[in-house]
Amino acid sequence: MLRHGRHLRRTPGKGPPVNVELTGIHRSFGKNKAVDGVSLELDTGVFGLLGPNGAGKTSLLRMLATVLPPSSGEIRLLERDPRHPAARREIRRRLGYLPQNLGYYPSFTVVEFIEYFALLKEMPSAAVPKAVAVAVERVDLGAKAKAKLRTLSGGMLRRVGIAQAIVNDPDLLLLDEPTAGLDPEQRVQFRALLRSLGEAATVIVSTHLVEDVGAACTEVALMSAGEVVFRGTPGELTARGAGHGVGDAPLERGYSAVLSAARS
Amino acid sequence: MIFPNEPGLPVSAHDSPDGVDLGRVWTSVATEVWRRHPGWLERTAARVLRSPGLARALVTAPSLLLPWLISTVVVFGAGALITLGPGQPAVWLVAPAVAAVGIAFSYGPGIDPAWELSSSCAVSDRMVLLTRAVAVFALNAVLGLLASVASGAAAALTFGWLLPMTAVSALALAAAVAARSAVVGAGAGVAAWVITVLASQTVSGQLTASVTNAHAYLPYLAVAACCATAVIYAVRPERGLQ
Repeated sequence: MLRHGRHLRRTPGKGPPVNVELTGIHRSFGKNKAVDGVSLELDTGVFGLLGPNGAGKTSLLRMLATVLPPSSGEIRLLERDPRHPAARREIRRRLGYLPQNLGYYPSFTVVEFIEYFALLKEMPSAAVPKAVAVAVERVDLGAKAKAKLRTLSGGMLRRVGIAQAIVNDPDLLLLDEPTAGLDPEQRVQFRALLRSLGEAATVIVSTHLVEDVGAACTEVALMSAGEVVFRGTPGELTARGAGHGVGDAPLERGYSAVLSAARS
Repeated sequence: MIFPNEPGLPVSAHDSPDGVDLGRVWTSVATEVWRRHPGWLERTAARVLRSPGLARALVTAPSLLLPWLISTVVVFGAGALITLGPGQPAVWLVAPAVAAVGIAFSYGPGIDPAWELSSSCAVSDRMVLLTRAVAVFALNAVLGLLASVASGAAAALTFGWLLPMTAVSALALAAAVAARSAVVGAGAGVAAWVITVLASQTVSGQLTASVTNAHAYLPYLAVAACCATAVIYAVRPERGLQ
């Protein structure tokens, strides 16, 4: 899924599709460097993005969601250049995005909200009702399908957000803190959903929760101060913590060890 | 959550003793039960706009529809009463300010709760704003013409009203987006319009000069164009509004 240090373009038609291709991405807000020289190539699978607050995870996801352009560097998504309006529109049709702060319309029902964004993603209108029903069931909100969003708990709203992100069966799925507010049982089920989705799509999950990465992700990157300071499998991250780092779980020790090394 | 091999199918659904795929049956039932049937207006808009998404956004207008309807009723109700009294078309003096408030509360980061999500969708958020604003102005134009006929005022007055309304609304929108505050935008729009009305009255001696003076039409258009440019600049992707 993740190819370390390789940024060469592939010959068209050969090898698996590269759904995400980042080359030297920088993003600044004033003098603050949010993302500083990130290069990645990703195809299908579940990719975990770890890091402390302010590491640049959300800015990177927003750039991948075509909400925020980079200050410099190149992005190619689904083998298209999002700088061109027509290509950006096609990317957005095949994109699923769960922002960190999901805004919602309180007077909408669950089904109305998911349907609204399915239509804004330009899904064929005939396919929308079934896609909405499937998405609602996948996040186990069938009993609340006709409930107004203002009546739902935080965890349920998060699941609504996940449902709208997957309603168009996206080829590129971006989830920013998707398990925030979910109870332990729902988180376990959500990880299974991630694995299922990652079989056919590129799924990028930004999270603080190391155990989510260990359970669901095939590859992981750790960001610190806008840079990717580690790339590898969860097993490789765990190995970095052997004899070092702090934390209750082996993966947490790997996380803290890499982070400490990056900061020192 | 349900995570079988096929989406939407309860795990137990595959184990039906009769070989019936209960998962598929349930999905079909849920699809029909939860299906929303668009009204004639939405279906017509979808055909005209060639976009079911844009049509849905138009008829939904989550942050705009109710305030706009209330504003329209209040403006025309109050205007009709006032016009029937002293004969002054005072409604045209109130309407631009009300429209400015409505527009200021309808669009932009920090105002639309689902702004970020909308910005990642194929249907452009600016297109949604444009369609909604055009719909509001078109319907208000029709209502204005009807009110003009009913009150005996000239239809040209409606034209003279819509131009300043466009300018004031654009100013309110620009201020709201730049300040990321609907209140600031609404305040700027209302303040600018009050100043315009008072200044016109001082110069001409007529209260309604700001909507009846044809020489003001071009400046109104210029203000609207400048403010539209400011909005486009403020929400351009390179700025990276958060």
